[in-house]
Amino acid sequence: MTSAPTPEKDDGAGLGLRLTLPAQVLVLFISLFPLLMQLYISLTDWSPLSGMAWPRAWEFWNTFANYLDLVSDDRLWSALGRTALVMAVCVPLEFGLGLALATLFVDDFPGKRVAYSILIMPMMVVPAVAGYMFFMLFQSGGPVNDILSWFTAEPVSIAWLSDPTLALIAVMAADIWQWTPLMFLILLAGLVGVPDDQIKAATLLGASPVQRFLTIVIPRMKTIIVIALAIRCIEAFKIFDTLYIMTGGGPGVATETISVYIYKITTQDLIWGYVAAIALAILLVLSLLAVWAMRRMAK
Amino acid sequence: MITRRMTRRGFLGTGAQMGIVGAGALFAPRWVGQAWGQDLAAGMIGGPTGFDGCEAYQYGPDTPEGRAIEGAKALKGAGKVDKIVLGLSDGSIGQLTQPFPAGAPSIKELWERETGITIEIVGLPNGQEFTKTMQDISTGAGGFDIYSTDWNRLGDLAESGGIAKLDDFVAQYKPEWDDGASGYVGGAQGVALLNQYRGSTYGVSLDGDFQSWVYRTDLFADPKEQADFKAKHGYDLAPPKTWKQLDEIAAFFNRPDKGMVGCSDLRNQGWGYTNWYQRFTSMANPNQYLFAEDGTPLINSAEGVAATTEYVASLSHHSPDAISWGWPEQYGSFGAGNTAMTCAFSNLPKFLDNAGNTGSVVTGKVGSMLPPGREVGGGLIRRSVLWFSLTGMVSAQSKNAEAAYLLLQWLGSARIYAWMTANPGGYFDPFRLSDFSDKLVRQTYHDYHMDMVRETVARTVPTINYAGATAYHNALDENLMAALTGAKTAEQAMADASDEWAKITRRTGEDKVIEAIKASRAGWPTLVDPI
Amino acid sequence: MQRSLPFQLFRYAAIALALAITLVPILWMVSMAFKPFSEWQSAGANLTWIPNAPTLDNFRFLFGDSGSDLIVALDRTAGKPILSSLLSATIGTVIAMTAGTAAAYGLSRFGSGANLPLALIQLRLFPPMAVMIPVMMMWAFLGLMDTWWGLALIYGIVTLPFAFWLMKTFFDDMPKEIEEAALVEGCSRLRVFTRVTLPMMAAPLAAAALFVFILNWSDYLIALLLTTREWVTIPVYMASLSSSMTGQLYGAKAALGLIAAVPPVILGIMIQKHLVRGLTFGALKQ
Repeated sequence: MTSAPTPEKDDGAGLGLRLTLPAQVLVLFISLFPLLMQLYISLTDWSPLSGMAWPRAWEFWNTFANYLDLVSDDRLWSALGRTALVMAVCVPLEFGLGLALATLFVDDFPGKRVAYSILIMPMMVVPAVAGYMFFMLFQSGGPVNDILSWFTAEPVSIAWLSDPTLALIAVMAADIWQWTPLMFLILLAGLVGVPDDQIKAATLLGASPVQRFLTIVIPRMKTIIVIALAIRCIEAFKIFDTLYIMTGGGPGVATETISVYIYKITTQDLIWGYVAAIALAILLVLSLLAVWAMRRMAK
Repeated sequence: MITRRMTRRGFLGTGAQMGIVGAGALFAPRWVGQAWGQDLAAGMIGGPTGFDGCEAYQYGPDTPEGRAIEGAKALKGAGKVDKIVLGLSDGSIGQLTQPFPAGAPSIKELWERETGITIEIVGLPNGQEFTKTMQDISTGAGGFDIYSTDWNRLGDLAESGGIAKLDDFVAQYKPEWDDGASGYVGGAQGVALLNQYRGSTYGVSLDGDFQSWVYRTDLFADPKEQADFKAKHGYDLAPPKTWKQLDEIAAFFNRPDKGMVGCSDLRNQGWGYTNWYQRFTSMANPNQYLFAEDGTPLINSAEGVAATTEYVASLSHHSPDAISWGWPEQYGSFGAGNTAMTCAFSNLPKFLDNAGNTGSVVTGKVGSMLPPGREVGGGLIRRSVLWFSLTGMVSAQSKNAEAAYLLLQWLGSARIYAWMTANPGGYFDPFRLSDFSDKLVRQTYHDYHMDMVRETVARTVPTINYAGATAYHNALDENLMAALTGAKTAEQAMADASDEWAKITRRTGEDKVIEAIKASRAGWPTLVDPI
Repeated sequence: MQRSLPFQLFRYAAIALALAITLVPILWMVSMAFKPFSEWQSAGANLTWIPNAPTLDNFRFLFGDSGSDLIVALDRTAGKPILSSLLSATIGTVIAMTAGTAAAYGLSRFGSGANLPLALIQLRLFPPMAVMIPVMMMWAFLGLMDTWWGLALIYGIVTLPFAFWLMKTFFDDMPKEIEEAALVEGCSRLRVFTRVTLPMMAAPLAAAALFVFILNWSDYLIALLLTTREWVTIPVYMASLSSSMTGQLYGAKAALGLIAAVPPVILGIMIQKHLVRGLTFGALKQ
């Protein structure tokens, strides 16, 4: 770009600016004001219950009390820990199941199209609806226990959603059900794209299927695997819809993830100054994470 | 929260089905009035017509209803108002839109016919009333003239500036809420408790959620049970006077092998803590308060830990699913004959002790009792709890504040309210003296129950309804749930809840909270029963 | 490639198991949607998997017709929420795809907007819940609360990162020769983009649009906070399907859930061919 500008380059640079402008405007629009407002109210005890509009939040100035509260807010930390647990369990399982299924779908077999169509169905079910369905499925007199009783040959009445551990398992099961299909789809796209000739070559050299898979297929798919995992990690971190409808974060706080916690203190406790402090803290951590990830990707 | 109201499907079924059958029966022949003619009685300017006994609900010009109608007509005549937007829980809309009894107009029709002002009802999902109200207030959307949300939010909403102070309207239109014969229980003090915050009127009560205790008369009267019980515990089997007796009787009747639950007062998230309240506030004479007068929380104390320990221990005579049971399961289990005692909204006998309810096996077998208590300082302290109770509030953004207030005055007045609460189509429960003596209401809710509810009201402590209420209750609720699920000990739960309360007080503003705590003391009962 | 018989058997068994697990919740939803009220609550020994007396009452109920005296007919039918969901998700997708594709091309070809990749990752990474307070204030100030266009705008913004990243990988991957040939023939840069590049990108565009649409269509949280009455979307409206007499109306919820699955399924079928290629993120050829 240091060479003397030619008319064509001008055309390109100008067009580039124009093409990126809408996205830039949208990003600025959604970042600038929210960031400033959050910064401002995070330094106050202002709440919509205080009887004043937010621009007058300075009357409730508390310097850094909200940020100090963050450190000692056990509920916040356990919500973060729980969110991490959900991610740590769900994402690898979804990836593993998705990859396993995808490998079974690489070559043709009778019934493939039908099976494929059914497997991606959960993606088409609105998560809120899935929440209501899973709520019913996991009732102690509900279908899941009914199916279990076919195997145990006696009535099963596990109170899934009343027990802290079982409730967490139930919401994770719902998440895995809903999102494994996306993993399957992306990974299948990746597997199909691995050139046959390389695999054939490896086969001729006497590589076993497992070796072929690990040494040729996986490395070729590295980028796609990273993208698939990244998408799911990002979305799983924000897990809310299905979980909230199934358990409301309960029993107690047993399934309270970070989004559920923030939702509750936003709409119920209405401590918006504190919510802003949490939001900015999360933003800071996630931004550092994003910068680090971008650097890694650039390498 | 949606899920808080949702429940285990298996039981929901029975409960729901019986609720329906009950309601169907209520609509059916018992009150199919002959259409006695459509005219108002002499001297009356308005009120329902078309059913037997309708005259009792008609009003003259010099009544709260009459003044409300005349005022609204004048506003309409002056071209100041055409429509009032009323936000209302989905489940309560029926009481305004369904005619009751047969032959009568609906409440909405009657108002619209008499004043010419349309009511637009905007349904709010159950459990989201407050969220939607705050959304309207904090964004300045101004979508409603009237919010109806639970009474506990009165202080929060008044402090937010989102609801209008109604003092001037009250002075002008004289709702007579403190009327000695038909007004609120406790007169002016009752009005202060239900409608006022820090000395001003902000709401109009449209509900009476005084939690009331019921038991199975057939079980308690069974000679064999009586003999067995006496042999085991050394005293007669009768409705319990103390918590100790309640727990013993509940344990006695708790028979998991027969599907029988000793007691089913709720233990779930969002509701259960009201039953903790009853155990805690009865710990001192006349009351064990939640806060000292200087605002210090009193729950992290020997009393708090003891109440919590009892509350958790009592799970042993509850259903194994108690932690997820809401009222539909509770009602279902009671109606199926599987519960010996429970504490519920006052409408339980309306649905379950009902000849028309073929799904209920407890018809004619339900009795009411006072809340259990404790012997403290030479007296028996029995305490129930007032919680939730839908209350109408006028939006500060409303351009029709006066007409909106008049609609609330009309709805909440002796004649219209009794007529409305007798209607089975919604959640509004009786709370006025006039309701307790009203023929339709007493038929719907039963004589034995109405008398006991009235006695319960006199022993009822208010839950928190001043600024910070939501946050205080959530903190308490979450810690009690942690104790129930074994995640925390009673000591830990009380210590943590207490810490959170202190934090909430700081955020809400100590002066504000302390003033409200002092003011709310007046609403606490002083009645002490003899031992 | 030839597969051994044991492998074939294993494959069918594994797939059958996966299908069964996938199908249980879906069949439950379908079954609930056609169950009359009396069968919703059956549990334990009475659990009905297949409706004993299938009925369309739940669907009729959604559109204002109560088949039972016991359940009060809806004041507000499901029609408007369905319209709201359709409008907001579709226009939101158009916004995200337009801005995202343009920006992706601008960056990929001309190096403009080098800040976008990071900014957009941050945007997507951030939980919407944590930013909803200022967004509610903005939306109220701009008069966008409780409108489908307000929802469409926020949907367009929160799914913009997906549109951008998906399309960018494809543009990066696309051979430059074709565009250069067109330039030599005298086409303007913009004309090359709209007439040459975009048509070649039909498959990725379709796959990305479907993905973005499903994300918008699925949203519950944002609509819960940005709508009140006029333009609530399907997931938010679900909560209204309850009554004082019956508690939750599960049959009606399931029926609406089935209806809500129709648009993604139709779109999915329409672009089925492109789906797999579109989801490779252009990341295969290296």
